[in-house]
Amino acid sequence: MRACSQILGFFLLSLQSITGADRAGLDWWSLSEVKQPVVPEISGEENVKPVDAFVRNRLKEQNIKPSPPSDRHTLIRRLHFDLIGIPPSHEEIKDFAHSNDKNSYSELVEQLLNSPRFGERWARHWLDVVRYAETNGYERDAVKPHIWKYRDWVIKAFNSDMPYDQFVTEQLAGDEIDNSSESSVIATGMLRAGTWNDEPNDAQEYKYERLEDMVDVVSTAFLGMTVRCARCHDHKFDPIPQQDYYRMAAAFWAGTIEPGSAAIMGGPSAEQLGYKEVFGWTDIHRNPPPLHLLINGDPHKKSKVIEPGHLSLAPHLDRPLISPPKESRTSWRRLQLAKFITNPSNPLTARVMVNRIWQHLMGKGIVATPNNFGFKSARPTHPELLDWIAADFIKGDWSIKGVIRKIVLSETYQQSSLHSNAEKCIEVDPGNNLLWRNNRRRMDAEALRDSLLHVSGELDLRMGGESFYPELASEALEGFSRKSSAWTPSPLKEQFRRSVYMISKRHLLVPLMTAFDFPSSEKPCGNRNSTTVVSQSLAMLNNHFVHARSQRLANHVNEVSNSKKDAIVFAWKKILGRAPFVDELTIALDHYNQQVNHFKDINDQAMKVRGQSRAVDKVLSSGLRFWVSADVGKTTDPNGKLLLWKDRSGNGHDVTQADSERRPIYVGKAIGEKPAIRFSGKKEFLKIKGQVIKGQEFTLLAVASDRSSSEEHREIISNWNGRAENSTSSLFLGLTGKSTVRFSDDFSSNNKITGASGNPFILSASSGSLGSQINFNGQTLADRGSSLKERRMDTEWVIGQQGNIEGEYWNGDIAELLVYERQLEPQEIESISKLLAQKYNLTMTHSLKKKPVMDPELQGLASVCHVLLNSNEFLYID
Amino acid sequence: MGGGFSGLALTSLLSGSGFFPQKSLGADGPLAPRPSHFNTKAKSCIFLMMNGGPSQVDTFDYKPELRKYAGKSLPQDKRYINSGGRRVGFLTPNWRPFRPGGECGILVSDYFPNIRKHVDKLAVIRSCHADSHAHGSALVQMNTGMPLIGRPSLGTWVTYGLGSENDSLPSYVVMLDKRGGPISGMPNWSSGFMPATYQGTLFRPTGSPILDLNGPKNFTGKAQRNQLNFLDKLNRKHLIAREESEELAARIQNYELAYRMQAEAPEAVDLSDESRQTLESYGVGKFPTDEFGKNCLIARRLVERGVRFIQLYSGGGHLEETWDAHESIEKNHGRHGSEVDQPIAALLEDLDQRGLLDETLVVWGGEFGRMPFSEGKDAPGRNHNPYGFSMWMAGSGVKGGTVYGETDEFGFEAMVDRAHVHDIHATILHLMGIDHELLTYFHQGRKESLTDVHGRVIEGVIA
Repeated sequence: MRACSQILGFFLLSLQSITGADRAGLDWWSLSEVKQPVVPEISGEENVKPVDAFVRNRLKEQNIKPSPPSDRHTLIRRLHFDLIGIPPSHEEIKDFAHSNDKNSYSELVEQLLNSPRFGERWARHWLDVVRYAETNGYERDAVKPHIWKYRDWVIKAFNSDMPYDQFVTEQLAGDEIDNSSESSVIATGMLRAGTWNDEPNDAQEYKYERLEDMVDVVSTAFLGMTVRCARCHDHKFDPIPQQDYYRMAAAFWAGTIEPGSAAIMGGPSAEQLGYKEVFGWTDIHRNPPPLHLLINGDPHKKSKVIEPGHLSLAPHLDRPLISPPKESRTSWRRLQLAKFITNPSNPLTARVMVNRIWQHLMGKGIVATPNNFGFKSARPTHPELLDWIAADFIKGDWSIKGVIRKIVLSETYQQSSLHSNAEKCIEVDPGNNLLWRNNRRRMDAEALRDSLLHVSGELDLRMGGESFYPELASEALEGFSRKSSAWTPSPLKEQFRRSVYMISKRHLLVPLMTAFDFPSSEKPCGNRNSTTVVSQSLAMLNNHFVHARSQRLANHVNEVSNSKKDAIVFAWKKILGRAPFVDELTIALDHYNQQVNHFKDINDQAMKVRGQSRAVDKVLSSGLRFWVSADVGKTTDPNGKLLLWKDRSGNGHDVTQADSERRPIYVGKAIGEKPAIRFSGKKEFLKIKGQVIKGQEFTLLAVASDRSSSEEHREIISNWNGRAENSTSSLFLGLTGKSTVRFSDDFSSNNKITGASGNPFILSASSGSLGSQINFNGQTLADRGSSLKERRMDTEWVIGQQGNIEGEYWNGDIAELLVYERQLEPQEIESISKLLAQKYNLTMTHSLKKKPVMDPELQGLASVCHVLLNSNEFLYID
Repeated sequence: MGGGFSGLALTSLLSGSGFFPQKSLGADGPLAPRPSHFNTKAKSCIFLMMNGGPSQVDTFDYKPELRKYAGKSLPQDKRYINSGGRRVGFLTPNWRPFRPGGECGILVSDYFPNIRKHVDKLAVIRSCHADSHAHGSALVQMNTGMPLIGRPSLGTWVTYGLGSENDSLPSYVVMLDKRGGPISGMPNWSSGFMPATYQGTLFRPTGSPILDLNGPKNFTGKAQRNQLNFLDKLNRKHLIAREESEELAARIQNYELAYRMQAEAPEAVDLSDESRQTLESYGVGKFPTDEFGKNCLIARRLVERGVRFIQLYSGGGHLEETWDAHESIEKNHGRHGSEVDQPIAALLEDLDQRGLLDETLVVWGGEFGRMPFSEGKDAPGRNHNPYGFSMWMAGSGVKGGTVYGETDEFGFEAMVDRAHVHDIHATILHLMGIDHELLTYFHQGRKESLTDVHGRVIEGVIA
């Protein structure tokens, strides 16, 4: 019996060992020892760099000549994007292009490798691989507190060229290593950067999903092996028996895998971890409970106990795990897993990592499937080259910058993406697998956003810290189940930081980023898709963020130029890094003139409308739907309380309050010696007759004062109605907190005003195709590119409380109130505010911020900038 | 890049438009129309998602025995997870009466008097079951097959399998309830590990339905046309030295497509050319049917325009804003039922009259059902129940007037002809002409499919 099973075992082992037609064995190429191959000699050429020698050798076999070196402009641009993700300035390009110093290229390489921007660029590549996002997903999608410190750790690791073996070890076992520190414990955040279900169907089953997630990320990221597939059965294609999955999983079984308090999100407590404010991982058992193999991966079908151990695909490294020393708190399983992975004779580790580096620099990996080096992977196009670099990587103390340096200094990297005989080469090698030219690439989402900010001069290079939430169009937020609380944009000054610092929230990835293939972060992503789809064109053409950059750049080039021609040339240099050719300048000027004329026409028409009458009542009567002022048309009851307030707009929306207890009082001299209606803040409010407006373009204007001492919500005008279910879609204007303006629940963030308390003010708010704005005493308080989400207008309108909520009462005066069914232009708001300021003897704090877009010449320039930002030359890197 | 298609989208449209007639860009773009596995008339699918989980014993699964057992506990041997640790009450009969409809006489409750009139078109599956009692993961399972987030959604698979018939509109459209999105958000319409090309596009029922469809006011119309002409000149000049690049050429063409989409997408939601009679039949302009009525009508318009997969959500946000009737079945289902009953009936009728029902598969259901027992003595609500619930299908290839499967006598769990979510998905794909085992996408060393290693086509609902 025993003999029989031994024979059977041997038979199975040999099946496992030898690669067949449908599966890989232990002799699979990626599992063989990495030996540094001899660099081939290239006849007739001397001083050929090793990378080039391997590439040339294969090209020679096919009788293909590589393309010539790239021109200097293309080269510096490519190198900038590849190493730091931001384009070079025109000056940098010029200096580099004209430099006669033969070391100028290698010096540039060093300069960029030493730039702090390098770590920000390369960290993002790694964050994809470890399925990093900052929230848990599922029911609540809660933010993982302090997980951003892991992102900062990765940036620092790349910047300091942390040896890759240390990089691996700290992420796996930063809590177990000898010189463990807060920083190395932060690194273990990698294990927890994935999804976490706060309300799993079955908490006991969910443990095994968590194990799978960790096995998956570790085995694909570091080893390029899909060990996850062996949870249910022996791997179908690779020599990974089912028990190997559990041997690896046992490393994580020692941690907080058992269901626990939701507050700590499946991780250790601060006491267990040893650090507060760190989102990391550690063991809670020195000797964890046994882990059973699960038949078909089913948590309810436990089979034999599996001892922790290594993957058997590297037999020479497969030795039993040792027990941790007595004083150890942890099981040392992850530490030994890290040692297994970083052992210089592990055949996969170095190959997998250098292939990732190659892919990011050359556009495609030597192995095109960077997360899979198994039987179903793409075969290496240059296996010897891969091994040569991998061996060099290990010999070079696992220096990532060292590998990058070797590659970017090669002629292969520097060759042109244009080939004089491209047609013939495409016939032989359509995928450019042999590298007869450089691969042209589209900017990825981060490079694109960062470049837009960089060329407009707005990119904020502050490093590290908590992520920022970008301002999003309200329609982009509609997918949230909790619309109002799910997304609060960060203060504007935070929003110009590099994209690596942008929040990645699993319930809503930023649309501009996903349009350009920012990946879904549930699973490890080794190479992003690079699609070319219509939604990208729509985003670039229409997105507010892109337009704002064009406007900003237009303002800048206009300020520093003497003529429009100079300004266009300057914009060209900023965006494309070069001056326009004569023919380009001609069509650009044509476009500019065409646009200026167009915008002038539009302005003239608008002026004509405005010029028809100078009297304020008439100029501003277009679209006026409701107008009350305390000096005209009021009727009071015997107690001096307001009985009727006539609508002056001619639309019959008269204002009344039938309940005498709830009427506000009329005050003859209130604001600027003029009358106003005074609300006590206690149950007083007024009803407006009829539906004031129907459309989604509107402007509200009020002259009022706020006497409230509480920080609760208080409303000037509102049509909120919970019973009619418009609690999230009503329109209202009011204050909250000390003096924060709320313009419906869709626009309530960061709109603090000062000097409102006790003092009268002019407040206006508008929404429509110009976006949505709030103005306070003639000053633009907030200006959002998008309009409010659709509002429901059919519920009853009231003054002085939140619709029919019986609360949020106004405490203070209201002297004048106007509602337009159109969005007033900034100039119109300015003129009406001026008139009201005169009438009520108020000071305008500032002149209204004029939208620069209203100037036809600036708009013309912005149009040129916007088109250049949309051009293929900007988006693609040759 | 995983699948058999390149990341270069819409190249087929280039050759189709004759824009670059000399280039053989091929018909292998990711959204090019593709032949189905089976002969089928189905072109589009409308998934009516009753977010929150409607109660089967109060809608399509009549259980007279519940009257007999009213006030008693569910027998001890019935095992379940008590979702959210809520109070466990007593067996409670249906809150509204059931009545037979159509010629088949299938019983439908008074929450859906109008849908009942069309019951001859429906195949009701009373034996559905799913794997999660929590909304977040159950919604994700109904949409992607697995209760774990990160996989491509049903609409993604259908679009990936069949391509698109219309290049000026997104091929996979999701219309949410105004009250909010579903729990778990974007993973419900994600393309998972497939390219974002196949991701669901959120579509708004008024004005400008797609994100970034309109720029600032001053850069629309003529000003934008001027820009596109200038851009085209620059891009063509750039292309001269790079003639072989299909990707650059595709991107040039995409700007023209984007320009067209700006006109055609708003037209798809503009109901001004619909007759008064049509608008009235869907309940447009009336409380409480206006919103879902509009969405159903837009769904029909999208079907007419060749959109492949349309998902409409009824209920959004949390708890009573959805079909999540913990507080009261009567209040909750009364409210949401009256919002959707007339619009859904009108949609079935309208599709039928226009001859579109043969080409359109309509699916109705939530992420799970509800318990046959209350949440406390005389408490009028019911807790989540993934063990047994009802869904229905109608339209292309569906055997109308059929009931498939049974729950136990309490309506608690599926007993006869159990239909797991994977089976529902396999059946939907089948009705759309796709073999769920053959439609695979290669990702990380594995051929992934919607139903993974599971799923069986429910022959009983197929005509």
